[in-house]
Amino acid sequence: MLACTPISDKNMAEYPVRRDPGKIITVIAFVVILVVAAYAIVTWWKPRFVVYTYSSFLDWGDEGADIVLERAFAPFEAQYGVDVDIILLDSDANGIISKLVVESSNPIADVVIGIDNILILQEAARNVLEPYVSPNLNLINESFVNALDPDHYLTPFDFGIVTLIYSTNSINTTTHPQLGNLTFADLAETSLASALVTENPHFSSPGLAFLLSQIAVYEEILHEDWTSWWDSVKNDIDVQEGWTEAWSVWSNDPTKHLMVSYGTDPAYSSSWLGGAEPDTYVAPFYYNDEPWAWMQVEGVGLVKNGPNPELGRAFIDYCLNATVQMEIPLNQWMFPVRTDLALPSVYQYAIHPDEINMLNDLLNSTVISANLTIWLDQWDALRTP
Amino acid sequence: MGCIEDSIGGYRLERRTFTRKLVLAFPIILLLIFLVYPVLTVVVKGLLSDSGSSFAEVISSPSIQFGIQFTFFQALLSTLLVVTLGLPGAFILARLRFKGKSLVRALMIVPFVLPPIVVVIGFNQMFGAYGVIDSFLMWLQSSSLSVFNLATGIPGIILAHTFYNIPLVLLLVSASLERLNPEIEESADLLGATSSQRFRRITLPHILPSLLASAILAFLFCFMSFPIILAFGQGRFLTIEAQIWNAFRFFDYGKASSLTLIQIFITLTLALVYVRLGRKSGNNGGATASIKTIEFRQYRVRERMLIIAYVGMLMVLIIGPIVTILRAAVYNPNNGLLTLDGFSNLLTGGSHGGLTHLVNSLFYAGLATLFAVVLGIPLALAMRSRSKIIPTFASTMILLPLGVSSISVAYGLMLAIAVPTGLVTNPWPIIVIAQTIIGLPFSARAIEIAMRNIDQAVLDQADSLGASRLQRLLFVELPLLAPGILVGGVFAFAMAIGEMSATYLIALPQNYTLAVSIYNNYATRHFVEAGAAALILVIICVIAFLVMERISEGSTTGGAL
Repeated sequence: MLACTPISDKNMAEYPVRRDPGKIITVIAFVVILVVAAYAIVTWWKPRFVVYTYSSFLDWGDEGADIVLERAFAPFEAQYGVDVDIILLDSDANGIISKLVVESSNPIADVVIGIDNILILQEAARNVLEPYVSPNLNLINESFVNALDPDHYLTPFDFGIVTLIYSTNSINTTTHPQLGNLTFADLAETSLASALVTENPHFSSPGLAFLLSQIAVYEEILHEDWTSWWDSVKNDIDVQEGWTEAWSVWSNDPTKHLMVSYGTDPAYSSSWLGGAEPDTYVAPFYYNDEPWAWMQVEGVGLVKNGPNPELGRAFIDYCLNATVQMEIPLNQWMFPVRTDLALPSVYQYAIHPDEINMLNDLLNSTVISANLTIWLDQWDALRTP
Repeated sequence: MGCIEDSIGGYRLERRTFTRKLVLAFPIILLLIFLVYPVLTVVVKGLLSDSGSSFAEVISSPSIQFGIQFTFFQALLSTLLVVTLGLPGAFILARLRFKGKSLVRALMIVPFVLPPIVVVIGFNQMFGAYGVIDSFLMWLQSSSLSVFNLATGIPGIILAHTFYNIPLVLLLVSASLERLNPEIEESADLLGATSSQRFRRITLPHILPSLLASAILAFLFCFMSFPIILAFGQGRFLTIEAQIWNAFRFFDYGKASSLTLIQIFITLTLALVYVRLGRKSGNNGGATASIKTIEFRQYRVRERMLIIAYVGMLMVLIIGPIVTILRAAVYNPNNGLLTLDGFSNLLTGGSHGGLTHLVNSLFYAGLATLFAVVLGIPLALAMRSRSKIIPTFASTMILLPLGVSSISVAYGLMLAIAVPTGLVTNPWPIIVIAQTIIGLPFSARAIEIAMRNIDQAVLDQADSLGASRLQRLLFVELPLLAPGILVGGVFAFAMAIGEMSATYLIALPQNYTLAVSIYNNYATRHFVEAGAAALILVIICVIAFLVMERISEGSTTGGAL
């Protein structure tokens, strides 16, 4: 572009001083090579130990992810003399699997954190991971291994309870008594359905957990066709792409009162308010006078054919150490799988796994993996305008 | 170009034609490696592997069928709106004499080159909930809740697409009107034709090719639309392109490949029609600029009112969303406060800071522009070659990037180039390649148009005076082509810096560009950060086009279309 300035100058009609465009081109080429070389050198890839995870990993505390990640993983770096590069991919867990699939012929990541008990049922996820039985599994309850992945493609990292939450600033059990004893039928009424924000089950694990909760209730408790419920609410429910988007809508839009989120949100709310009574409550579903919710277990897995498999295994072992696990409650707002660790006091406001019946028990993994694609296709068809 | 060949000895001739062929083949070989091969890899792999849906399943799925129908429907509706709203403007632009016309003409192209994600921000700010119009209506009705929202669902999609593509009609049709010899119209008047007869028999046939060409281009761009669909489609109104993106993210490669094939088939058909029309309209002579223009006060009162109303509407629709980006950059709708946080974010370094994204944007787009120009020159030469096959082949190769899903291209580049070479660890060269491919149609076309206007006699003269091929290129052709190169470069730059989907797919967090970070910030409701970055992109684009206008003296705006 620089080359044309002197040439198309206004005195073109007279005899211009003839400059050699060759020189200008040489200069441009030289500058370009210099800039490119500088950029390439600055961003040059140094081989290191790579962990893929999603962008909000350990990022919900007061200190922010940078400090927490450093505190949690610096001892590992010191012990093994490596740089741990935790790449926070701006995508959901599906996107991470998608990336691993593309890279599968020449992977750069060694370990991936954040794939959960539903996503691992997908063949694509299993194809990019290598099973590993960590010796540190004896530190945790075996039920987590069974809930997440008995085949050990993943090692349990944390878990949470997916349920509905609401803000007591906008609604409560006095204005909406059904919140204390909620059923999907209540939720289908326009007043509540239009106040609900959920996530797209294709791209968001809580969104998928909500869909599976609904299917479990309708197919296994009520013995009805699950699609009827979605058909009745399809024009009212706000389906956001992912959890972060849904959270933004729920906390900013005054007409959205309910959200599909986690049972630890009241604890988060209390912590946000400096330890006071939370203004966020949970509304689990009630059937047969029992509360029900979905349990999500997230795991850490070894990437198949990754560059540093030995280090990867050591890293997975390390993830079950107290150093990492104790960062989970206040930064990830999930429960650590190390149930022997003391939970922060705000966790008195969270719903705990022993207070609730797990809908997972109604839909076993064989049923889910056989039907997941069909269900999602049906869900797509229901939502098609 | 071949006239001198007789005077040269056989050996030199052979060597020359060989070098010439090599130069012409060079960009085509690169496109084969970096565009055709990756996309083919993705499509073949997706269709052959048994992961995901088969072609038959995809075709028979109701949600896919709806998606294809919707893609057509919205593109058709948007195109109709673009033509209806743009046509009067094209006439005004051609016939009305006013001060600063060339500036207006230069600025007219700005909406077309704005990054889609920036348009999303502007639209939300103008037509969306708690936007400028909504705030005014809320104040009127003293309501605390939003009462008006056009920036969502089908209305949002159609309006944004109209905004985007109106410049096509305005510029292409008005340029064609200016080429209409006024004497023909005068003769028609003398022979007693009524104004409607004159329009039907003379004006309409004359502008029809350009009108059709702009309509096809508008349809093509709406058909391939992606960021606008992502932002306004609520996850339900999805174009084929958005469905491809979803399929890749859900690792349904069979579905992604099938959709890519369907899309290529449709868009290439459209693109070939466009090339044919371009050939036709290219034949009716150079610019005459002798069009009869009229001053505003010479119009009748009713006509003046209509013009004012029309321009007013255009201001709301076109200027509104651009100007209100200023508001988006400083006004935080989450708490209703004015803030400069968006700009301070742009000055923050580090992998999450806006400064890194800005530097990345400029670096990638700058390099991509350079490559698009360097490759565009031989491609344009190939399009003007006298052989029968080469021009068609070259035109098709150039149009390919417009008709192939940029997401499939990005995915293919990852799969076929980045992973085998280990570039995934630091994929910025792949981003530059993707952005080059996206800008190439525009740079090649602008240069090709500039080449048409070179007088062959000048080149022959250079040859007969004994200039070498290199001397002829450096001292004669390049200076004559400079305005075309500039126009093409600016278009390529605008396309590259606004590119979002391919970059998003390829990039690691340290490679994010402004367009990507706008999308991320917008999705997580960091509105001021998104707004400030959008404002910077608008400013960069406007400056680029003003510079182009200054240097090329208004003769070539729109020359890349």
